[in-house]
Amino acid sequence: MSAAHRRRAKPWNQRLAPYLFVLPNMLIFGLFVVYPAINNFNISLYDSRNGRDFTYVGGANYQELFGSDDFWSAARATVVFAVCFVVLTTVLSVALALLLNRRIKGRGFFRTVFFLPVVLSPVVVGLIWGWIFERGNGLLNTMLGRAGLGQPGWLVDGGLAMAVVIFVGLWMHIGFYILIILAGLQGIDPAYYEAATMDGATRWQQLRGITLPLLRPTTMVVVILSLIAGFQAFDYIWTLTGGGPIGATTLMVQYIYENAFQSPIRYGLAAAASVVLFVTVFALTLLNFLYGRRREAA
Amino acid sequence: MRRILASCLATLSLAACAPGTTGAGGGEQQVDDKTLTYLYFTDGPDEQATRSLIADYEKKSGVKVDLQVVPFDNLEQRLQARLSGGNAPDVARLADIAPFRGDLLDLNKFQKAALDGQFVDGAKSYITGANGELLAVPSDLTMNGPLVNVDQFKKAGVALPDVTKPWKWDEMVAAAQKVQKANNTQYALAMDVSGHRFSTMLSQFGTAFFTADGTAVGLDQQKATAAVKRFADLNASGAMPADLWLQAGTKYKAANEIFLAQQTPVYISGNWQVSAFSKDATFTWAAAPNPCQETCGGFPGGKFMVSFEQSKRQQAAADFIAYMNSKESQERLAKEANFLPTRKDLISSGVDYPQRDADMKVFLADVSRTPPTAFASTYSPAFAASAKAAVDELSKVLAEQETPEQAVEAIRAAAEKALKDTK
Repeated sequence: MSAAHRRRAKPWNQRLAPYLFVLPNMLIFGLFVVYPAINNFNISLYDSRNGRDFTYVGGANYQELFGSDDFWSAARATVVFAVCFVVLTTVLSVALALLLNRRIKGRGFFRTVFFLPVVLSPVVVGLIWGWIFERGNGLLNTMLGRAGLGQPGWLVDGGLAMAVVIFVGLWMHIGFYILIILAGLQGIDPAYYEAATMDGATRWQQLRGITLPLLRPTTMVVVILSLIAGFQAFDYIWTLTGGGPIGATTLMVQYIYENAFQSPIRYGLAAAASVVLFVTVFALTLLNFLYGRRREAA
Repeated sequence: MRRILASCLATLSLAACAPGTTGAGGGEQQVDDKTLTYLYFTDGPDEQATRSLIADYEKKSGVKVDLQVVPFDNLEQRLQARLSGGNAPDVARLADIAPFRGDLLDLNKFQKAALDGQFVDGAKSYITGANGELLAVPSDLTMNGPLVNVDQFKKAGVALPDVTKPWKWDEMVAAAQKVQKANNTQYALAMDVSGHRFSTMLSQFGTAFFTADGTAVGLDQQKATAAVKRFADLNASGAMPADLWLQAGTKYKAANEIFLAQQTPVYISGNWQVSAFSKDATFTWAAAPNPCQETCGGFPGGKFMVSFEQSKRQQAAADFIAYMNSKESQERLAKEANFLPTRKDLISSGVDYPQRDADMKVFLADVSRTPPTAFASTYSPAFAASAKAAVDELSKVLAEQETPEQAVEAIRAAAEKALKDTK
């Protein structure tokens, strides 16, 4: 009797058991993630101002979206934010993880300090940094003013506000990505470094020749996760800048939120914007994944 | 790749179904179980007064009222969801009835004698349905207007205007700047980040988003531009806090903290601050009459009580609304919460407020000075979208991204689109 035949011959209850174990999770996932996602695509083809009366409009919501200045402004801001966020997150998390992986004094303290903002509520983070960056009476400008360095309009100048939003995003999330990279670093076999040291490789050569190549799968995870986080950023920005000044930090999720939940409600338009966001994130993640696989194969 | 393609096809085929289902509509089976649900959001001081009125109603009628207090944010969306599920409350307090017009109960069917024609005329077209139905009752009126720091005015030796002789915009600004200088405050005037509040200025400069009958956009290019220019100049000169508008993003932001911190002697807000300031202000303050320019008066707003066709207790709901908006109840609510009445008989007889009576009289006096176009604008179903556009465009002017003329053009276009969308 072949192994495959023996597997097939298992009693039905044993074959069913694994599926029953995953069933509750799959039901919840299906009900709260898959079904709303599918329904969202559906809603994007309708116009609804109240969530009850739906008029089929075909691609009209997409047409309106692509002809809207506000949509393109949010799209541009989202791309700027996401690109800066992903690049800086990846570079900084690798750099800081390398430092925190060394046997330095107070390593545990520094790891905690970097991780602490991750557990804070994003709304609180937005409010606190809002007080710090306020132009007139903010903590930072009070200190800068006393040092004779002027009072920059951190939250009233479009460019500065975007820089602040990126900075706060990094501050809040970097600990999580450091943790992932640290796990990746600890998974590298020390034998590689011992061999390289015996061959006379410098630290820089070890970093370029061993650490970074072996970290690539972990870095890829960081890139994908930060990309998704970058495109989904909303909560702390909402409390920090409210999307201002003049829409400079209004990202796509806020654009969707405003259309879906603030008067005048436009469910169809918000759903269409969600579909565009989903397709963009999905395509970028897929490209990243395929590129990573090709690099691994090479 | 084949799996991804299959998933996409499955998604598309599932998406072919029509979204959502409409909840139960009108013609509900009526029940008489002596209960009522009342969906309510609070402005603060009104909650206790409302609870007290409800307690008396329960004793008098034997009806148990379930007061469901919800936050104002997302009220519209929450209520829409309840209507979708066929689970509408029997009575609700709303700031804007426009999104629910098709769901509202005609109160004239049940309480015509008590309610029809009893309330402020400016709201009539807004609360009346296409066939003369009474869709809502204006339950309280708000009036925008300036609040001043009396201590700072006294210190500067600047006299406050008489209630019967309102000041002009130039006079108010000059007085505010003199007080600012004498007290070394950060600003001379502050205004909430709100299209509703800016509409006060538009009205005083002789124009409004909509015409008096509310059927067309009535924004006068020249007058609106003058208002925007004045607003921009005051912000550019530092007399008003431009940062407040720029930092707010797309959110509403009040300037009350600046006033309470005594960093501005004049704060353009409204009568709903009276009750809060009587508790929070550590200095002497007062309401001042709205400034005149082309016209006088402030800008109105308010809340409404409604019931729904979905309600299974329509008679009880209408009875409750009639009780809450009777002369006695409105007067009690107005006195306890420092609200302005909406009943014509109370407006003409006036209300004697046990606290801050003089301030409330200032706001009440401005109600009669406010032009009909201001009422038509605030009660237009297109007001919310137009006011939001005004905030966006004013922020662009403050950031010097567009001229006042361009801003007015954009506000006008937004008001026209909003009006078209509501038809």
